[in-house]
Amino acid sequence: MKLSLSPEERELQAEVRDFLAAECPRHEDVPHQLDERIAYLRGWQARCYERGYVGRSWPAEFGGGGRPPAEQIIVDQELAAAGAPEFPNIVGLDVLGPSLLAFGNDEQRREHVAKILSGEEIWCQGFSEPEAGSDLASLRTVAVDKGDHFLVSGQKTWTSWGQFASHCGVLARTDEGEKKHHGISLLIMDMDSPGLEVRPMTQITGHAEFVELFLDEVAVPKENLLGERGQGWAITMYTLGHERGTAALPRQVRLRTWLDRLVSEAAEREVDGAALLDGETTQVELARAMIGIEVLRHHAYRTVGEFLKGGAVGEDSSTVKLLSAEAEQLLTSTALDVLGPTLFDGDPERRAANEFWYETYLYSRAASVYGGSQQIQRGIIADRILKLPVS
Amino acid sequence: MDLELTDEQKLLSGSVETLLERSGGDRGEVWEKIVEFGGLMVDPEALGAVELCLIARNLGAHLAAIPYLGSAAARYAIQAVDEPPAGFAALAEVPAAVAIAFLEPGGGWTAETLTTRLTGGSLAGEKCAVEAAGAEELLVVCRDDEEPVLALVPADAAGVELTAQDSIDTSLPLSRLSLAAVAVGSDRLLSGAAATAAIERLEAIGGLLAAAEASGAAATMLALATEYAGQRRQFGRTIGSNQALRHILAEMYVSESASWSSILYSAAALDDDAAEARQSASITKAFTTRASREIAHGAMQVFGGIAFTEEHDAHRYLRRINLRGSQFGDAEHHERLLGRALATSVKRVANA
Repeated sequence: MKLSLSPEERELQAEVRDFLAAECPRHEDVPHQLDERIAYLRGWQARCYERGYVGRSWPAEFGGGGRPPAEQIIVDQELAAAGAPEFPNIVGLDVLGPSLLAFGNDEQRREHVAKILSGEEIWCQGFSEPEAGSDLASLRTVAVDKGDHFLVSGQKTWTSWGQFASHCGVLARTDEGEKKHHGISLLIMDMDSPGLEVRPMTQITGHAEFVELFLDEVAVPKENLLGERGQGWAITMYTLGHERGTAALPRQVRLRTWLDRLVSEAAEREVDGAALLDGETTQVELARAMIGIEVLRHHAYRTVGEFLKGGAVGEDSSTVKLLSAEAEQLLTSTALDVLGPTLFDGDPERRAANEFWYETYLYSRAASVYGGSQQIQRGIIADRILKLPVS
Repeated sequence: MDLELTDEQKLLSGSVETLLERSGGDRGEVWEKIVEFGGLMVDPEALGAVELCLIARNLGAHLAAIPYLGSAAARYAIQAVDEPPAGFAALAEVPAAVAIAFLEPGGGWTAETLTTRLTGGSLAGEKCAVEAAGAEELLVVCRDDEEPVLALVPADAAGVELTAQDSIDTSLPLSRLSLAAVAVGSDRLLSGAAATAAIERLEAIGGLLAAAEASGAAATMLALATEYAGQRRQFGRTIGSNQALRHILAEMYVSESASWSSILYSAAALDDDAAEARQSASITKAFTTRASREIAHGAMQVFGGIAFTEEHDAHRYLRRINLRGSQFGDAEHHERLLGRALATSVKRVANA
C-alpha cells in the first residue's frame, strides 16, 4: 500500500506543472469554430507528445515512452488539474490505441501507434448502430469476405470526432457465430475510403462532436483486420473495460477543478444580500458533491492497482464507471441548484460562466449512457461479480 | 498510489476471520482471542490504521460484540504522542479494554463544545453513549478552563457512575456516565497541544473503525442477500434473475466496494500522517454511513418479509450499522463539517 509519490514521480509532477504553467492553453485560447478548434488541439497534443506526456507508458519501440503506467496517470492528473483541453485523438488514445497494442500485429503497431500519439492520425470508433446501442452484439454491419479484402456495409452512430478522423475502428460481422457476439471482427477503416459517408449530428450542447457513418460496400484490405477474425467482441470488451478503469483518475481531478470553481462562484454570487456560500444547505450540497468525487478517487486508486502492475483492468471497471458518472452528474446538478436564481439575472458579465455550467450540466447527461450505460454496468456486476442466475 | 493489501495484511485479515468463525460468538471468548492474537498491539511496526480497519471489518462482518473499537481507537490516538504520561503509556503493555466517553447529553460530536470539566485534577460532567460493557478504562474527552484534555479514568474509580441507557443495537449496551468529582492523577491526564492532536487522531480513527465495522456488516448482508436471491424462487424463476433485484444488488456491491476503498485510502492517509488525513476520514465516515445503511435496506428488500422477523439476522446487522453510523459523527455531521471547510477554503471577496 502506497499513497505518496516516489522522488522520481515527484520530479515528473513538478516538471509537468512547470510545463503547464507556461504552455497550457487557456479556455479563451482554444478557437470556438470546430475545424479551427481541432487543428489547434492537434497542435497541443503534438506538443505534449514531444514532451513525452502522451503515451508515456506505451512501448518505446512503437513510439511510446516505455515508462511505468503510474507516470502516465500522474501526467494525466496534472493535465486535468491545469484545466488543459482534452486531446482531439481521445478515442485513439483511450480505446483503439490500447486495442492495437494488445491485439494488433507489429506491422499495424509500427504503422499507427506513433501517429495516434502525436495526433497525426485521429481515430474514431464505429461501434454503436441505430439498432445496436446497449445491445452492441446485435450489430448488423456486415463485412463480406472477398479474398484479399472485406466489403463492409451498414450504419454506425455516436462516432465522436468522425468528421475529423483519418481512421475508424469498425465492428462488423464477418461470420455467423453460434452466439451473437461470435463472428464479429474489428477492422481498421481508412476514412477516405470510397463508399463511406459521414453526417454530423448536433448534440444537446449545440456542438456537433459526433457523426453517423453510412457504409456502402467499403473495401477494407484483410491486413487491416485487428486481432483474429471473430475476436472483435473480446477486443471491444477489453478496451472498453480499460477505458472505464483508467479514465476515472484524470476524470476525478477534472471534476474536482469544477467543484472548486463552483465553490468560488458561490462565494462571489449573492442572493438577497447574502453570499450563496454562506447558506448551510448550500455548503452541505457542495460537501455531498465533493464526497462523490473524493470517494471516486479513493476507489479508482484501489482498482487501478492491478493495472499498474501490468495486468488487465477487471470487472471492477464497471464500479468505477458507475461512480464516475454519478459523481459527475451529482456535481453538475448541484451547480445548477446552488447557483439558482443567479443563473437567470441576465448579468452580461456572467454569461460565459453561466454557459459553462449549462454546457457542463447538459454534457454530463451522456456520462450515464456512453461506454456502456449504468444499467449495462449493473448487469455486468450482477452477472460476473455477484454471479446471479439468469433464470 | 497503490491501495492493494500486502500479503501480511491479507494474512492478518484471514486469521481474524478464522478466529471469529471458530469462536462461536461468546463475547468473553472472542475478546480473549482477539487480545491473544495481538489485536491491541497498535504500533506502526505491528498494527496501523489499515490493519485495525481490517480487524474491525471482520468484527462487523461477524457481528462480534466486544469492546474493540474504543480499545483500538484509544491506543492509536495515544500512540503518536511523544513521551505519553505513564498511565497512557501503560495501555501499550496491558490488554485493558477501553471505552471512549465523548458524546454528552444535548451535545454533538464536537470537542470544542464539551462541558465535562477538569478542575485542579478533579473531573466532573455527564457523558452518554459510552460502550462501557467489559471496559476497564474510560478515555474521557473533556476540557480544562482553556483547552481540550484527555483523561484516562479506571471504570471503577470513585465518583464514576455508569447507568444503562437505550440503544438501537442491544448487543452493544450503551451507558450514561456520570463523573462526580473524580480525582485523576497527572499520569493519567494529557493536555495542551498533545491532547488536541490526540483528540483529532481519536476522532479520525474512531470514525474509520466505526465505518470499517459498518462496512463489514454491510458486506455480510450483501453476501447473504446475493445468496438468497440465487435460491429463492417465485413466479417459476429465481428472484435474482429479475432485473429489478439484480440492479439493487449491483448497486449494493458498488456502494460496499467504494466504502471499503475509501476506508483503506483514509486509513493509509492517517498512517502516512498526510495533510488530508482528517478531511479524508470525514469523507469516508459520511459516505460509508449512508452507504452501509442503504446496503442493509437493499438486502432487507431482497429478503422480503422474512427479514422483518426477529429470528432473522437482518435486523441485527441493520442495528449494528446504524449504531456505528452514529458514532464519531453521523453523515450529516461530517457533511456539515466538510461544507464549512469548503466555504472557508476560498478567499472571500467580502473579507478581502
